[in-house]
Amino acid sequence: MADRTHTRTQSLLLSHQEWLAQLAEESLAKQKTFIDGISSKLRRPRAHTPPQHPYRGAPDFWRTFEWSEQERIERFTDHFKSAGGHVVRLSNMDAVKQFITEKATELSAKYIVRQNQQELDDLGLEKALPDARVSTWNSDAAEAWKARAAEADIGVVVADCAAAYTGSITVMSSKDKGRSVSLLPTVLLAIIPVERLKTRLGEVLIRFDEAGRENLPAGIHFISGPSRSADIENDLTIGVHGPGIVYALIVG
Amino acid sequence: MSGHGQGTAPATVKDRADLALNDEFLRKAVKFTTERLRAGKKNAAEDHGNWDDWRERGRQIRLHTIANLDYYLNLFADNARANGVHVHFADTAAEAVKLSLDIARHAQAKTVVKSKSMVTEELHLNQALATIGVEAIETDLGEYIIQLANETPSHIIIPAIHKNRYQIAELLSKEAGETLAPDTQILAGFVRKKLREKFLEADIGMTGCNFAIAETGSMVLFENEGNARMVTTVPKTQITLMGMERIIPSWEDLEVMATLLPRSATGQKLTVYMSGITGPKRAADADGPEEMHIVIVDNGRSLQLGDPEFQELLNCIRCGACLNACPVYRHIGGHAYGGTYSGPIGAVLTPALKKNVAEWDDIANASSLCGACYEACPVKIPLHEMLIYLRRRKVEAGEGKLLEGLGMKGFASIMKNAGRFKTVLKLGKLGQKLVARGGEIRLKAGPLKGWNSYRITPSLPKQSFRDKWKTLEEEIRHGLQELDPAAKARMEALVKEREQEGGGHGHG
Repeated sequence: MADRTHTRTQSLLLSHQEWLAQLAEESLAKQKTFIDGISSKLRRPRAHTPPQHPYRGAPDFWRTFEWSEQERIERFTDHFKSAGGHVVRLSNMDAVKQFITEKATELSAKYIVRQNQQELDDLGLEKALPDARVSTWNSDAAEAWKARAAEADIGVVVADCAAAYTGSITVMSSKDKGRSVSLLPTVLLAIIPVERLKTRLGEVLIRFDEAGRENLPAGIHFISGPSRSADIENDLTIGVHGPGIVYALIVG
Repeated sequence: MSGHGQGTAPATVKDRADLALNDEFLRKAVKFTTERLRAGKKNAAEDHGNWDDWRERGRQIRLHTIANLDYYLNLFADNARANGVHVHFADTAAEAVKLSLDIARHAQAKTVVKSKSMVTEELHLNQALATIGVEAIETDLGEYIIQLANETPSHIIIPAIHKNRYQIAELLSKEAGETLAPDTQILAGFVRKKLREKFLEADIGMTGCNFAIAETGSMVLFENEGNARMVTTVPKTQITLMGMERIIPSWEDLEVMATLLPRSATGQKLTVYMSGITGPKRAADADGPEEMHIVIVDNGRSLQLGDPEFQELLNCIRCGACLNACPVYRHIGGHAYGGTYSGPIGAVLTPALKKNVAEWDDIANASSLCGACYEACPVKIPLHEMLIYLRRRKVEAGEGKLLEGLGMKGFASIMKNAGRFKTVLKLGKLGQKLVARGGEIRLKAGPLKGWNSYRITPSLPKQSFRDKWKTLEEEIRHGLQELDPAAKARMEALVKEREQEGGGHGHG
């Protein structure tokens, strides 16, 4: 019985793959007529070489704009707080460990999910919080990780970058860094090593151009505070779908 | 194709506006929100500094991309495919719907969770999914409320702007099977819990697309609630419907759009979430969609290409700033426009996408032609001029009688020549001196009659942007002098007369 189910699933899967292949073929053919149609509407032959783009990116005056480290920290703090987030300045990872431990205890967190990052391994939260279940993202292939993140009280991540001007944290997905960890828990704690805090959003974005398509992760997310909505009578509501409490822990 | 789901909707903008105006709450809510958004935008724009430089840069990037759309769209499709995305092209709404339904059938989907997408509204995709037994669930808080009420969004950014919390509590209580207090936190809390279950059990996540980056094949979403992240993270299959003009070349260009869009839409420095999705989940990832489809939709957009009067419509970044700036929208709300897109952009885009001048709705008349939409637009689309072009095309198509019926008598002949609009604006301001009292126009006569029978029009600014615009064509100026020197003289004389008598009462 189990065997037969397996075979059926496989044949279904196969036909799904065949169907996708057929779609791909149709898409390629259609792409040509679709794009040619655009060229003819633009009344010229189709261009195959990259056009000159003299206005690429931010205006020139903006590209050299930069704050000092102290100013970046202050501005990030102002902007993140005005969006409803919290910012804590910590001198080293020991202080980070202490902060997270105290916060988890204060909130009586039962479930914590964290990214599988070396900095977080080194914190030793598992030992420091014996009453909570601390799970490390994707550390066990058999686990339902989205469900683990969805039930978590707290998610802990190390940010890849941050931009002071907009008060934004950047997180990038990978095998060890789930998109769900910064999204599904009620509380998000994001550690920002101070050297990763830039002035402008553009300083972060240009890296993705430089990295090129092949090197981009599936998910790049900029987070600028707690999830919010003003859809009911313009009354600001926090934590509609994403975390309602977000801490940025600037360390170093 | 009426866009409002109910066949009983009143036929003309005037009728719908009358309905909207009967609802005191709507008027107040629309006004409150749009004013708040407008103030927020003003603050954010001023706070940012060099706003006009950013606008100009945004305009240049959009102009460049649209002028080379064949190259960039092709590049995007190739790169997205290389990322493992199943890319599809749809010339028409029907094709886009067919593709989406095919994907849903093959995914054996029971439910689709959706984040905000104007394109799917345009396609009426939810209704189509229902016909094959697939439930589409809107997950943006406002959209969810609107869906429960079986209505359509009335504002691009705040779809449930016309509902108060008592009405919302009633709707949600029905859904909850218990009475929920009309408290924002309680209501939002219920929606969080309810929709979380839906996210986790849904087979398909469906999104729109704010920007698509050609050079890396990435799609970018701006949002505040986190539901678009949910939709692109949790379900096994993701379908993104994207207008063919959503392209920008690079991530660098995204900085400009990210500077303009949130500031113009809600006055935020950046939305809470900005996500760049590059293909389905990687093999080793533990979340993200396994299968990702992007459906590139034309549905009338390419009709604007090569049309010197309307090509710039494709520059629109869907921020809603023109709605908030528009005195007409602020009075009548979004549903009065009767299409998927409302406000000044909707007034132009709806007929433009349908390319059916003879039958287009009377929405182009629903504008005071004051140019506020242009001044608010972060990519400087001359919407007020496009409204004039539309009126002219309608007149040319023999719809002049309808115009007259709408209180445009005597106006139509002038509108046949778009160039004369500038003249009319000047004359209008002169004429306005005769009828304006305390900054408002109450006169129920002349070209604004249709309007003033149910609202008060703010006075035109003393010096409009047009007066400051140095590119006025000489020919038009001659046109002005030749047009009606006698009428001009008469008006000037009347103004002088009134100033002398210091008059302040009369027409009212």
